[in-house]
Amino acid sequence: MKIVGIVGSNADFSYNRILLNFIAKNFKKLIDVEVLDIKDVPMFNQSDDQTNSEAIQYLNKKIVEADGVIIATPEYNHSIPSALQSVLEWLSFKIHPLDGKPVMIVGASYDVQGSSRSQLHLRQILDAPGVNAVVMPGNEFLLGEVHKAFDENENLKDTQTTQFLEGCIKKFIRFINVVNIVESPEGMKDVSSTEDLNATGTIDTTIEGIDMKADDWVEQAAKATGAVEGDAYVKLNRGVLTVNQINHFLNSMPAELTYADSNNQFLYYNYKLEEDEMLASRNPAQVGSPLADCHPERAFSSVAWVIQQLRNGKEDVVRTKVPTHGPDKFVVHNYQAIRDADGNYLGINEYVQDIQPIIDWYLEQTGQLLTGGGVDAASGATTKVDTVSSATVKG
Amino acid sequence: MKNFIGIIGTNSDNSTNRLLLQFIQKHFADKANIEICEIKNLPAFNKPEDKKAPYEVQKLADKIRKADGVIISSPEYNHSVPAILKSTLEWLSYTNQALIDKPVMLTGASYGRLGSSRAQTHLRQILDAPELKARIMPSSEFLIGYSLQAFDDNGNLTDQYKIEELEQIFNDFIKFVDITNQLVNTNDSHKKKATNFSWEEN
Repeated sequence: MKIVGIVGSNADFSYNRILLNFIAKNFKKLIDVEVLDIKDVPMFNQSDDQTNSEAIQYLNKKIVEADGVIIATPEYNHSIPSALQSVLEWLSFKIHPLDGKPVMIVGASYDVQGSSRSQLHLRQILDAPGVNAVVMPGNEFLLGEVHKAFDENENLKDTQTTQFLEGCIKKFIRFINVVNIVESPEGMKDVSSTEDLNATGTIDTTIEGIDMKADDWVEQAAKATGAVEGDAYVKLNRGVLTVNQINHFLNSMPAELTYADSNNQFLYYNYKLEEDEMLASRNPAQVGSPLADCHPERAFSSVAWVIQQLRNGKEDVVRTKVPTHGPDKFVVHNYQAIRDADGNYLGINEYVQDIQPIIDWYLEQTGQLLTGGGVDAASGATTKVDTVSSATVKG
Repeated sequence: MKNFIGIIGTNSDNSTNRLLLQFIQKHFADKANIEICEIKNLPAFNKPEDKKAPYEVQKLADKIRKADGVIISSPEYNHSVPAILKSTLEWLSYTNQALIDKPVMLTGASYGRLGSSRAQTHLRQILDAPELKARIMPSSEFLIGYSLQAFDDNGNLTDQYKIEELEQIFNDFIKFVDITNQLVNTNDSHKKKATNFSWEEN
């Protein structure tokens, strides 16, 4: 992925240049960053159009060709430097290379603020119709007291800061992919047709001759196949259990488990709670149904997208958090690909979990605290990076 | 009579903010002497190590120091103020801090309906930075939208309501200058702190 890093200052010495060089060097496995200076760009003047000058055309070309742009800004007088402002004026006057371009903002300053105010100004400027960049929300990277932040090799000294920055970069890569979809004609495309959600096909294990939508599909299917139950023994890899033991075992899992096969048929869930007590509701009559019958039509495109990620091997697991359970729970839907020994896709193991108790237990056991949402930028917190954006965890 | 400096916040040859300041100069000639200053010939700020103000910058700073107050009229570029105005303010904050405790009134004109509203908000925040520490008159927003249609051939504002609004703000500003000077004289330590301000050693 090709990224252009713009140094937001025209000063001969700039820590923001050092920061961008560090990003280029340290994350070169993730992104390919070319750091560009703006020193040669003249002051904007609408009465003296220099859009065609070499310096502006060079920036224009580099930005147009890039997948995304990272701007590193210092803070002068609560705002961004005039040099950067001038560049953005040129790039919004006769030419608009930033239009629809994914942009990430970082910034460094000598004081504890770490360019906090200038970053907000920059967001507003980039949002102006003439610029029309697509700025990544959240993930605010503020590097305060920058003169103490780098070692002699111009690497960030603080490993947590580097880790946070890496997290921001990884988010930015995803953000670029998302923006590309939004900006492309495909963004409007309904991908539901990429999956046979009505399970019209058959696979080796499909139990044929039974109405998938029948309320008693389980009973009919069991009868048709002569399925064992109760105290009948089943040989497993690796062990022997009775069907009852398997049921108890699966019901004791700290998650709601669902099995849908590669034909998109819903075959099993660990039924222990009634529909309204579950994190993701299921009912006994649904079992056997095609996935199309288990989701509202408006969700078909996303369901198909998730299955595609797993079926094509792009991902082994797709996770999504569902915030509608209130602040005391952190409910995650995990869609885990089930594959055979050769890696062939067999279906989805969807397990739904509230992971909050696990996080709480971990913190209690290790004596660690979560920082992030709780760090107050204005109070001059000791951490150099104010992760104001990560509201999902609270210290 | 007060002595004011009017700063045109753009380097553009055609500027309705220039027209607006010229109108203010003319309309309030019995209340204040207003000298209109251009910033279009100022060099771009580049944070030189010697911290010396270029000749043009020093000339502007000297005028600001002597004046009782400053009126800045800014257009809006990209939700903010033009780079050239920002550059001018960077020079002042970096070299001679001429705007410290100086009473400032803001006006703005834009071709569109919004009349530079976002630029004024940014400008207030910028002027309020400790390195500049201007005394901006609060609660006084003067915006001219559709500024290309706002003046007649003689450079007069055609909307009588707008003129009355401007008169009120201008009268307020004259009082604000006096009040600010009282406030400032009682607190000299602010000035010392801001004069010693450095982006490096804060």
